[in-house]
Amino acid sequence: MYEKIFIKNANILDGKKVKPFKADLYIKDGIIEDIKDSIVIESKNITKIDAEGRTIIPGMVDIHVHLRDPGFEEKETIESGAESALAGGITTLICMPNTIPVLDSSALMKYVLDKGKGTGVNIYPAGAMTKGLGGKEITELGLLSEAGAVCYTDDGKAVADARLMFEIMRYSTQFGKPLMLHEEVYSFSKSGLGHEGKYSTSLGLEGISRFSDDLMIGRDIDLAKAAGARIHITHLSTMGAVDMIRKAKKEGLHISCDVTAHHLFFDDSCLESFNTNFKVKPPIRGAKDRQALIEGVKDGTIDAVISDHAPHQDTDKNTTFKLAEFGTIGLETLFAGSYTALCRQCKVEPGKLVKLLASGPAALMGLDTGTIEKGKRADLTLIDLDSYYEVKAGSIVSKSKNSAFIGQKLYGKIIYTISNGKIMYEGV
Amino acid sequence: MIEKATILSAADLDRVIKRISHEIVERNRGCDNLVVIGLQKRGVPLGKRIAANLESFEDRKIYFGKLDVSFYRDDYASKIKVDIEKTEIDFDVTDKNVILVDDVLFTGRTIRAALDAIMDLGRPKSIQLVVLIDRGHRELPVKADYVGKNLPTSRNEKVAVRLTETDSEDIVILVESKEDVK
Amino acid sequence: MLSKKSILNICDLSTEEVLQVMETADSFTGISKREIKKVPTLRGKTVVNLFFELSTRTRTSFEVAAKRLSADMINFVASSSSLAKGESIMDTVRTILAMQVDLLVVRHSDSGAVKMVDDQIEIPVINAGDGKHQHPTQALLDLYAIRGRFGSFKGLKVAITGDFLNSRVARSDMALFKEMGMDVFLVAPSMLLPEDYSGLKVYSDLEDVLKDVDILYLLRMQFERQDKKFYPSVEEYNRFLSLNRERLKKMKKGSVVMHPGPVNRGIEISDEIMGKGKSPYENVLIEHQVTSGVAIRMALLYHILG
Repeated sequence: MYEKIFIKNANILDGKKVKPFKADLYIKDGIIEDIKDSIVIESKNITKIDAEGRTIIPGMVDIHVHLRDPGFEEKETIESGAESALAGGITTLICMPNTIPVLDSSALMKYVLDKGKGTGVNIYPAGAMTKGLGGKEITELGLLSEAGAVCYTDDGKAVADARLMFEIMRYSTQFGKPLMLHEEVYSFSKSGLGHEGKYSTSLGLEGISRFSDDLMIGRDIDLAKAAGARIHITHLSTMGAVDMIRKAKKEGLHISCDVTAHHLFFDDSCLESFNTNFKVKPPIRGAKDRQALIEGVKDGTIDAVISDHAPHQDTDKNTTFKLAEFGTIGLETLFAGSYTALCRQCKVEPGKLVKLLASGPAALMGLDTGTIEKGKRADLTLIDLDSYYEVKAGSIVSKSKNSAFIGQKLYGKIIYTISNGKIMYEGV
Repeated sequence: MIEKATILSAADLDRVIKRISHEIVERNRGCDNLVVIGLQKRGVPLGKRIAANLESFEDRKIYFGKLDVSFYRDDYASKIKVDIEKTEIDFDVTDKNVILVDDVLFTGRTIRAALDAIMDLGRPKSIQLVVLIDRGHRELPVKADYVGKNLPTSRNEKVAVRLTETDSEDIVILVESKEDVK
Repeated sequence: MLSKKSILNICDLSTEEVLQVMETADSFTGISKREIKKVPTLRGKTVVNLFFELSTRTRTSFEVAAKRLSADMINFVASSSSLAKGESIMDTVRTILAMQVDLLVVRHSDSGAVKMVDDQIEIPVINAGDGKHQHPTQALLDLYAIRGRFGSFKGLKVAITGDFLNSRVARSDMALFKEMGMDVFLVAPSMLLPEDYSGLKVYSDLEDVLKDVDILYLLRMQFERQDKKFYPSVEEYNRFLSLNRERLKKMKKGSVVMHPGPVNRGIEISDEIMGKGKSPYENVLIEHQVTSGVAIRMALLYHILG
């Protein structure tokens, strides 16, 4: 690909303004050289893209992704995950530490950063909060930070020991990186398969009570207040969670949170088919919870939308609901899923969604990306917002095919993903 | 369905049934060990009338039973969905001369099924078949012992037997039918 | 014939189909009473019992039903743990399918497992019980037994008693009884009730319903199987949920007692009421339920394969 790209007639949502504006873009040597109403270029060795009728947004920043590498390379690798991300218009991502070995040491921070180079995606590791994710001993938060961890998390697990959580919170304030908290109370979630409600009852599936999320969130808000810690609650699922975080923000707590595209799109009626791609943690909850999450997006309580991309092989998913692993992939449907649910169905302004998918999460994690600005690195995604297509298993780029969105019709096909000034993905 | 001809009027039907009843008594030299089983659906009222006749001729009780052969049919017999009717045979058929009664004899498959059904109930001394109309087109070696009327027909014709007990009139007519029917 | 060939959920049958199946079962009840208990209807057809969860009663009931229709029956019994992952379940199913069989009767300890099998094959499947989800043939035979005793359904008061939370029988029964116009309510303590039980009235003490109930339906209580062991003890169960002779006397004339079996003597029903093998009390319908089971299963096999 040429190192010069000229995009004309683009409808731009730059991650700063909510309203779109029309302009031409000129990219040179990986940087956005110019954004102007009308740019005239003496064309020589330039890639021209006519973006008439299409929208350009900043390359998206997915702060919660499971790349399964090292340890579960049959499900996904850093390379294959990056390809999947680019197919979803994502140019920056944070990968979770529940790998084998767990990302709980400097060496593994370096492993991820090195492997991520050259994939076309800016991949950052999250460092584990406890050694081996055992929930017992705190990790070297300082060394991890210096080796490149952008945040700390035990995602996949919660820290049940309240005292330990408090000590982690206090210590983390020294390094200025947020704690990304996976909230789950095991006595409520143990052997649970789906949201405890009408559907889990009639389908004979063990339910996971909303207490599992809410009790833990309440605890961690109290602890964070006292510790002065910067916490980020990830993958919200209950209306109670939204209420608590809204209240905590009002009281001045330095707290943020995110929600997955699938929690915005589905509610627990999806369980009826016993499709194991809907078996996720936290569970997809009731219609009222979904409404509350959408309200939380609208009123700014929720700061980011994530994929929680969780690849699994067919053997782990093509089984009974009880035996199936938890998780759905989501990199490739992050935009289309959240755009269709929020903007097409619930009238949220696309510019607002772009903030939740790019500039918002980037700012939360202290990453210099997520906006379209003159002089910044050219990470952009060109999307056809009006294209309506069905998600097909055969078109999935990820190594794993366990998508909750298979069979769904979505708006918002990714046309081009440009990373560091290079076209890294071209949609068909 | 187009009505083509009346085969038996009400009066004809009455005479035929009386004649057959007499034949039965004659051939069996009385009604010792005789039982009558009517095949669902119209073999039942026919059989009842015959049994009533036998009772009055010989002045003795004649046991009567109803037989439904849905569970014994072979698939080729009839593609029409047939309702399952009741089988009510509350006497033993072993060592009895069973007079099996049906309205129309056609391919013979229903009778074959009836024979199997009766054999599963016991070991009769004999089974004699009474039919009101024999319309030909046998696919199995089945023969009636007592026939009301022999009626050569073509495959796309249907013999419609109507009896007051089931259809509010007594008549047998020949109709043209689009489907290949029993 | 049934509009939908597989029966995974009691709701797969319309009210008309339910009534039709029961009428057919009447004919088969007659056949089961005579000397030669066989008809040749399903000769040449092969039915496979594919049981991933142990069960002697249901499996035998289907076996007798198939054989009385002259079908060939193959029993495949495996413990769920040895066939843990989905690949193995479907491997087993496909191996059986390669033998050109006509119908699978499947039982599994996980909810939704039978649907998973049905989704991936062409031949009909009858759900003989999947996890805590559904047990449609049990509901049908229960209804048939009720029909045999009461004749009609509308307005009959049914108390489903015991471990509703973990019972697939309760889910199927509740749906079917409500559909047929019966007045259904539950007798269960808080930890044996699910989050949402469709607004049914709930009692916590059996004594409260004895006088009014037409059908007392007792569910199996498995103390060992409670994952979380929240129900305190057998003694507590005896006080609030068990049927004994004193309680049986309080029930109104014409009312009946039902249980899907096998009964845990001394837990759901006292030894005395159960008697030696057969209950001496004529309003205990348990044995009729078993007889009904064969006739109903014959009727279902007939309607699907006949």
